[in-house]
Amino acid sequence: MKYTIQQIFQSGKFITGFSIFMTILLIVIIYPLVIPDPPLKIIAQGTFFEPGIYVNVYDSINTPFYTLNLDEAADRRIANRLGDEDRQAIKEWLVGNGMPEAEIDPANTEQLLDQWFNNFDPTVRLPGMTNADRNYYIRLNNNIQGLLNTSGAVIAELDEETAVLTEKATVPQSAYVNVNDVPNVRVLPLGTDNFGRDVLTELVRATGVSLQIGLVAGSIATLIGLVLGLVSGYIGGFVDDTIMFVTNLFTVIPSFVLLILISFSISQEQRGATTIAVVIGFTSWVWTARAVRSQVISLRNRDHVNLSKLSGHSITHIIVRDILPYIASYVVMALILQISSGILAEAGLSILGLGPKTTDVPTLGLMMNWAMIYQAHILGKWWAYFPIIITIALIAFSMNLMNTGLDQVFNPALRD
Amino acid sequence: MKGYRNYFLNKLLWFLVTLVAAFILNFILPRLMPGDPVAAIVSRLAQGMSNTSGVQAIYEQYAEQFGTNKPMLEQFVLYMRNVFQGDFGFSFSQYPRTVADVISSSIWWTVGLQFPAIIIGWLIGNTLGALAAYRRGTFDKVLMPISIFVSNLPAFGMAVIMLVIFAVTLRWFPTSGGYGFDLIPNFSWKFIWSVFIHYQLPFWSIVLITIGGQAIGMRSMSIYELNADYVKYSRLLGIKDRKIVGYVFRNAMLPQITGLALSIGTMVGGALVAEIIFSYPGLGSTILTAVLGQDYPLISATTLIITLMVLLANFLLEIAYGFLDPRIKAAQAD
Amino acid sequence: MLEVRELTTKYITRFKEDIYAVDHVSLKIEEGRSLGIAGESGCGKSTLALSLMGYYFPPLHYTSGDIIIDGTNISGMKADDVRKSILGREIAYIPQAALNALNPTQKIIRFIEDVVKAHDPTVTKDEIYEMARGLFESLGLPAEVLQKYPVELSGGMKQRTVIAISVILRPQVLIADEPSSALDVTSQKMVIKMLRNLMDNGYVKAMIFITHELPLLYNVTDDIMVMYAGQIVEKAPAHEAVFDPLHPYSKGLMGSIIVPEEGLRDVKLAAIPGTPPNLKNPPKGCRFAARCKYVRPECRVQSIQLRELENGRSYRCVIGEDELRELYAREAE
Repeated sequence: MKYTIQQIFQSGKFITGFSIFMTILLIVIIYPLVIPDPPLKIIAQGTFFEPGIYVNVYDSINTPFYTLNLDEAADRRIANRLGDEDRQAIKEWLVGNGMPEAEIDPANTEQLLDQWFNNFDPTVRLPGMTNADRNYYIRLNNNIQGLLNTSGAVIAELDEETAVLTEKATVPQSAYVNVNDVPNVRVLPLGTDNFGRDVLTELVRATGVSLQIGLVAGSIATLIGLVLGLVSGYIGGFVDDTIMFVTNLFTVIPSFVLLILISFSISQEQRGATTIAVVIGFTSWVWTARAVRSQVISLRNRDHVNLSKLSGHSITHIIVRDILPYIASYVVMALILQISSGILAEAGLSILGLGPKTTDVPTLGLMMNWAMIYQAHILGKWWAYFPIIITIALIAFSMNLMNTGLDQVFNPALRD
Repeated sequence: MKGYRNYFLNKLLWFLVTLVAAFILNFILPRLMPGDPVAAIVSRLAQGMSNTSGVQAIYEQYAEQFGTNKPMLEQFVLYMRNVFQGDFGFSFSQYPRTVADVISSSIWWTVGLQFPAIIIGWLIGNTLGALAAYRRGTFDKVLMPISIFVSNLPAFGMAVIMLVIFAVTLRWFPTSGGYGFDLIPNFSWKFIWSVFIHYQLPFWSIVLITIGGQAIGMRSMSIYELNADYVKYSRLLGIKDRKIVGYVFRNAMLPQITGLALSIGTMVGGALVAEIIFSYPGLGSTILTAVLGQDYPLISATTLIITLMVLLANFLLEIAYGFLDPRIKAAQAD
Repeated sequence: MLEVRELTTKYITRFKEDIYAVDHVSLKIEEGRSLGIAGESGCGKSTLALSLMGYYFPPLHYTSGDIIIDGTNISGMKADDVRKSILGREIAYIPQAALNALNPTQKIIRFIEDVVKAHDPTVTKDEIYEMARGLFESLGLPAEVLQKYPVELSGGMKQRTVIAISVILRPQVLIADEPSSALDVTSQKMVIKMLRNLMDNGYVKAMIFITHELPLLYNVTDDIMVMYAGQIVEKAPAHEAVFDPLHPYSKGLMGSIIVPEEGLRDVKLAAIPGTPPNLKNPPKGCRFAARCKYVRPECRVQSIQLRELENGRSYRCVIGEDELRELYAREAE
């Protein structure tokens, strides 16, 4: 036993898979201890906030300012505030005004502004330009002028009674706050989702729930498969025929379809994560049953089993002592695969809208479902779907690697 | 030929048995679930529809069609009769369309998309796997990790990634649908071209997913066969390596056909979800609409149709296998 | 007929280690004679069989030495020439696991066609069929076998079919690697009878028979060679090898055999305590030293050469012929 474990841990594939899986598992366990927020709490007003560090503006104003004189600050500010659309509009105007297109580079802020100030004239009416267009350019010009303004921003207080604004302070352009001084800073490494929830917190919890679903579904499937396979393989005859008939039947009838049918028949309110896991488990035992049965058949007439039979041991004794130890490795491998396919099955179901009810806990499938319904993929909100796909793929990948590693240890023919 | 006839009859019988089982399951599973299906459906109807005459029509038709007050056996006879007449009733969510109408407008999209994609993916995957086993070296070292990772991506994940890269970012292909939303199906070049363009992304994402798994399977089958005793013996009798590789790949391919027959159900399941990502107008999207609209008759019929498709594909593959593996004829003749 | 001089071949593992499974082996076999090679599993006897063919494929590699058939040294020939003119024509091979030696998805006759055409593409299918039918019938196999797939044949029939296919090109030398070990007793007897038949009727001119089942060797071959850890440790005529073994390892193998013939049948190679050395790092001295009852200090230091005796026997040990016999005699008391 000890030797086997040693051998397993010498397989590069197994170690890689095991490390990936353990990392995921550790994150799932440790993350909630560090950040105990409820995963489904809506924190953002609005959808799909980008990943980043969110600094409380109100607190920043009430935090001591430091003056830093940095050369690039003004340019960067303008470059940032002048959006792509505005740049394109400037270019169109300049071209319309007769400047050769090749001379204009919308990405070069300094040159573009120079060209703009040298040429723009609000009274000029370019051919094909509507009144609305002209007003837009005048507004744009005012904005750009405002950008170049070097005076600070004024903080004023509104007097409730007189409705008079009283100047409280001025924030010069060279004022900085130290983020450490600001009491409210929220890091959203993966932004927020369509409901305004912190994606990372949600993802970690969802991974945990999905792993649990996989584990429950996998254990049920493996247990059913193991028992049916053992009984069918060891007893043989009519029992074997019957079990194999049912097994073959469920091999060809797609389990996915059964899943849809069953999940749909259970009303949404009753469809918890556990229910889904159990349903998945009950529809995916066939492969394990087949594999166990063929192993048992090859063991059934081995010398040590015959010896045990001759010694008058009971069937239970023979199965537990003389057969189970020999198929244990297959069962473990089957379990690993079942866990991973259980997670995938849940994801598929959830995308079809047949996943667990949405009010309790997130799952990887539900998160994917939400992202798809709110079209995160088409809107370019990568943080709402990509980490989920990667997580699912990594779980499946790590399990598959562990399985291949085990297979190579137990089936030397596959080695190399 | 007698051997093959036995094999064929055997498979045909098995096909019919699975067909009957599929009908029974489709009939009985929803009825076994806790709760009164009539009440559940009626309450869904009340929520879902504003058209009162529609509600009434569906309700009457539902009670009539399913005969929910009659004994199970009678219900089943009724169910089978309806199925064979292609009468699945009205769709709740798309009233006044009938379920048969909804399915007949989506089934060919699915058939036309999935089966070619799975077959092409199977062929490419097996070729790559065989090459990886025979060449080993760099080709193998590069191809295998990629295949393992790709085959572990869920089909919908592959679909989303393809969509984001080729439709959203590069804008080479449309993001969704089976043809341009501004077109009406007809036989003009414009429409055919639109269908073709919309076909690419769903097609290739299913192909890629299929390739990964098949390449891995074929590689290990081929390695297993390359180490077989007959390879050594053939070599030592002076047969050329090229000829022996021919033996090996033929023999490694055969279990891959059986493997395909057994896993086609799972593949179709994954591909249906991929269809949803592309809003492809096939059965996957039909299921989604049915689920969202709590459309019981539509779900029931769609799942039945999918099962029948898979069973038929399975049967056809078994038949093809019988032709390709000479041992079948030999074994059955005894 | 077949002469092998100082042949050395190695396996290269996937960790790029060299394992010399055949280490400076020399042997000679005359027309009409048969040679048995015995040893525990892993002693290199099956590798020797493969190496004698002169055709190497990974992980087995040729290192040094000569293989001379009818005056032609084939160890320097190009692989494809060896394949075309030697394999199956000069030297033929009967594999260890003959039960799986035939491509399961090919009819026997199709395989025979491939074999014949690999050496001479001009022969027509009809000619090959006539040739195969003639051979099968003269060897007592029904011609219908040709039209069958391997799955349709019983174990014994499959083995005899493989033997017939091996001699289809009338090779000079036949190497049989444990051709009967997986069969039941009746089939074993038929296979042995068939192999003898091949020699007696001139289908092959010489035979090398590899086995770990001693009674078989004693009954079938003229000479016996014992291998240990990649080296020959003893060569002798069959009777002397069995009843007067010189090398302690041979003695250990044959040790329990006292009663001739009758008792011999059930005696297989008796287990000798200990395991053979790891050939990745073979010991400097005698390779058997670690398991030898009569080991002496010098055995572990110097490598031991094969001693040639006057009567054509040879063995690999520091102890003299008579002294060994004395030691064995004392042991027996």
